[in-house]
Amino acid sequence: MSKTSSDKYADAGILRVSLADRSVRRESLSPSLFTTYLGGRGLGVKLLYDRLAPHVDPLSPNNLLIFAVGPVTATTVPTSGRFVVITKSPLTGTVFDSHAGGSFGAHLRRAGYAAIVFEGRSSSPVYLWISDDHVEIRDASSVWGKDTGSTTSQLLQETDPQAEVACIGPAGEHRIKLAAIITDRHRAAGRGGVGAVMGSKNLKAVVVRGTGKVAVSNEQALNNAVERARRLIKKNAVTDKSLPVYGTPVLVSLINEHGMLPTYNFQEGTFNDAEGVSGEKLLERLSVRQYHCFGCPIGCGRISRVHGEEVGGPEYETIWALGPQCGINDLEWIATANHRCNLLGLDTISVGSTIGCAMELVQEGKLSSSLRFSKTDGLLELIDDIAFGRGLGAEIGEGSRAFASRYQSPELAMQVKGLELPAYDLRGVQGHALGCATSNRGGCHLRSYLIGPEVMGVPVLVDRDRTEGKPELVILYQNLSAAMDSMVLCRFTSLAWSVDDYAELLSSCSGLPVDGPSLLTIGERIWNLERLFNIREGLTSRDDKLPARFSKPLPEGGSRNRVVHLEEMLPKYYSLRGWDKEGRPTKERLKRIGIDKT
Amino acid sequence: MDLTVEKLAGMIDHTELKPEAKREKIKQLCEEALTYKFAAVCINASHVQYAAEMLKDSGVKVACVIGFPLGATLSEAKAFETREVVRLGAHEVDMVMNIGALRDKNYDLVRTDIEAVVAAAGDAHTKVILETGYLTDDEKKKACLLAKEAGAHFVKTSTGFGPMGATPYDVRLMRETVGPDMGVKAAGGIRSFKDALQMIEAGADRLGCSSSVAVVEDFRWAQYSDVWMQRDKPCWTCPSRQANLAKQPKEVYLYYKQRCLVCPDRNQNIFND
Repeated sequence: MSKTSSDKYADAGILRVSLADRSVRRESLSPSLFTTYLGGRGLGVKLLYDRLAPHVDPLSPNNLLIFAVGPVTATTVPTSGRFVVITKSPLTGTVFDSHAGGSFGAHLRRAGYAAIVFEGRSSSPVYLWISDDHVEIRDASSVWGKDTGSTTSQLLQETDPQAEVACIGPAGEHRIKLAAIITDRHRAAGRGGVGAVMGSKNLKAVVVRGTGKVAVSNEQALNNAVERARRLIKKNAVTDKSLPVYGTPVLVSLINEHGMLPTYNFQEGTFNDAEGVSGEKLLERLSVRQYHCFGCPIGCGRISRVHGEEVGGPEYETIWALGPQCGINDLEWIATANHRCNLLGLDTISVGSTIGCAMELVQEGKLSSSLRFSKTDGLLELIDDIAFGRGLGAEIGEGSRAFASRYQSPELAMQVKGLELPAYDLRGVQGHALGCATSNRGGCHLRSYLIGPEVMGVPVLVDRDRTEGKPELVILYQNLSAAMDSMVLCRFTSLAWSVDDYAELLSSCSGLPVDGPSLLTIGERIWNLERLFNIREGLTSRDDKLPARFSKPLPEGGSRNRVVHLEEMLPKYYSLRGWDKEGRPTKERLKRIGIDKT
Repeated sequence: MDLTVEKLAGMIDHTELKPEAKREKIKQLCEEALTYKFAAVCINASHVQYAAEMLKDSGVKVACVIGFPLGATLSEAKAFETREVVRLGAHEVDMVMNIGALRDKNYDLVRTDIEAVVAAAGDAHTKVILETGYLTDDEKKKACLLAKEAGAHFVKTSTGFGPMGATPYDVRLMRETVGPDMGVKAAGGIRSFKDALQMIEAGADRLGCSSSVAVVEDFRWAQYSDVWMQRDKPCWTCPSRQANLAKQPKEVYLYYKQRCLVCPDRNQNIFND
């Protein structure tokens, strides 16, 4: 039976699921939480900060695993079907939020929830089944050990074919620190080992079917704001042309031309065979159709046909990680390996990056293995070994920081705070480099995607080599991203929308009196709370650093003769943030942005 | 610069001149012009009647290109085209100057060509497109003076189909040449609000853009940072960077490139980005 009632986000509940005693209770979303941290990432970070004791082992029962949606989720706002997973990361030891598309988030919201907080550990494998108001912890022993595709199929059969599944594969079950949570078979909350946390709780999946109507504060205002938001997406060359036609792999050629496509574990910035793994080539050779997440007019996802089978992706980051990062130019193999990672529940970025690190260790004679740059022999088996924690795979599954240190070569791990860096050589983009160094979740391109202004010219082209002004831009983008992630919207919308558009969408949905500047203040509040979380865990300004490789110039290509000038930007960044020289938020700044740190 | 989103929109000719543009595109162009209150829509002749009907009594003008995009047709043909589009509802005409005649120093022909259009336009305003990418600085100045003598209301940098788009350098040169009382329209390659603001700062009082919506909408970002308007690397906005041997006469191409050798910013000319 369908749910007939409708609710506003302020009325949505928080489900607290205690896995140890298999109890479930519903809490209401406190108004102060909603107005100061919105939802999604902000809500999750606040819950984690308040409820998680310092120095908890991320894979212990004491860690919390939070699934959250936001105040615009499941409305007519484009890209509003996403969800976010917040936890303390076993890979980085930091606060962590990992996002996924698909439709899972929309169902969770339509079932009446703003978030699910998982506590403790089940004594045996379980999954959570939510059908509107009905919530049930079910036995998952029959799907434990199965890949994400089989798990999804079986759980949909057991529950409701129209439900949505977010599940882990063998990697999560084995608590591999590169484990992802997969939804709709190929959309991943990929980063930071959130799948390992789920596995550590013996939680195989969350299955949700929501049929309620989501009410908004001002329907007419929302209609106007959405009409405008959709128009802007249609008028933007990236969101209306490049992404729909090529998907995210459109970036391969562009980034390679800029000499920023990391190759051979960031030893080079130009991949000679980039054309063979480009978005254009994917379209010509493998792409079957577009994939749209819930409510998304862009449709950047790809469905490819490989060896007669339709598979999701591959996305730009995956093409890079399993391709140029390892010197591999075989697009079909990359698509196959990507599919394998999705089935096993692995983060393709960290997997590819750490394999590339292993290849360089072999090149340097520090690791004895058959691994070689450009060779795919045995790599699919290695990916299996990573997921199941076997042999060299088990070592790689610890992530590049631990792996390279194991072989006395920490400088070969291309990571920040333990998280593998994505597909941009930072020597070619000063602002983006600062964003990665200061990211609260480690080496992440999405905290402040300055590739937009520094490479794509969106909203305007700024000089990518210049350090002056970059701290200001990084802070603007970090604050906006934190707010956007707390509304739980896709990052690509920011290529077409400005700060004011997000504020308008938020206020018409929620009734909050938010304008652009106050939205950025909410983002700043979230950013600072994350920083406080990390400081509480023992991180310091010494963790705001980049791999030493970025201090040596690239020998050739579009970013040759450049290094990252982090030392020029970081003090200014701290100062503008209102932090002391050690990168700690000052009391004055915290008070100003409404964080009462006692 | 004291500029609002609304003021910026009021300086833009919202442009669609592609040969493959369908009626639906022109409809969208007009709707956007009404929404954003652009100065005008700038279109090809066959769409004038339709656009004039859509924009009737709105304050948004219809501008139509004449002798476009080469400018090498007969003056009589330009005059005929002008009379027809004005009859069909055009408020402004953007004519392409006879570029070859200017380069031949056949100034009488250039002037009479413009005069013919100005006369045919009647009350409609005439803009003269120089297509700066085919000209040296001296030729640009001469073209500006001829347009002024012939009674045109604006000089305009480019068609958007030629070898170069508008640059602040050319706009400044044109403004200095024609003085404060004649219009200067920058057109071609204006894709961001920063491009637009640089043109205005250089002296443009009208902008031709096909990315008008993005230019105006993205201008909302300006309130959140001054960094957007940081000075670019000098080469980024220099006509010499745009010079292209495949698209320009050899001597014009070399004219631009040889300026790089004596440019005070030559030490910054290392990377092409």
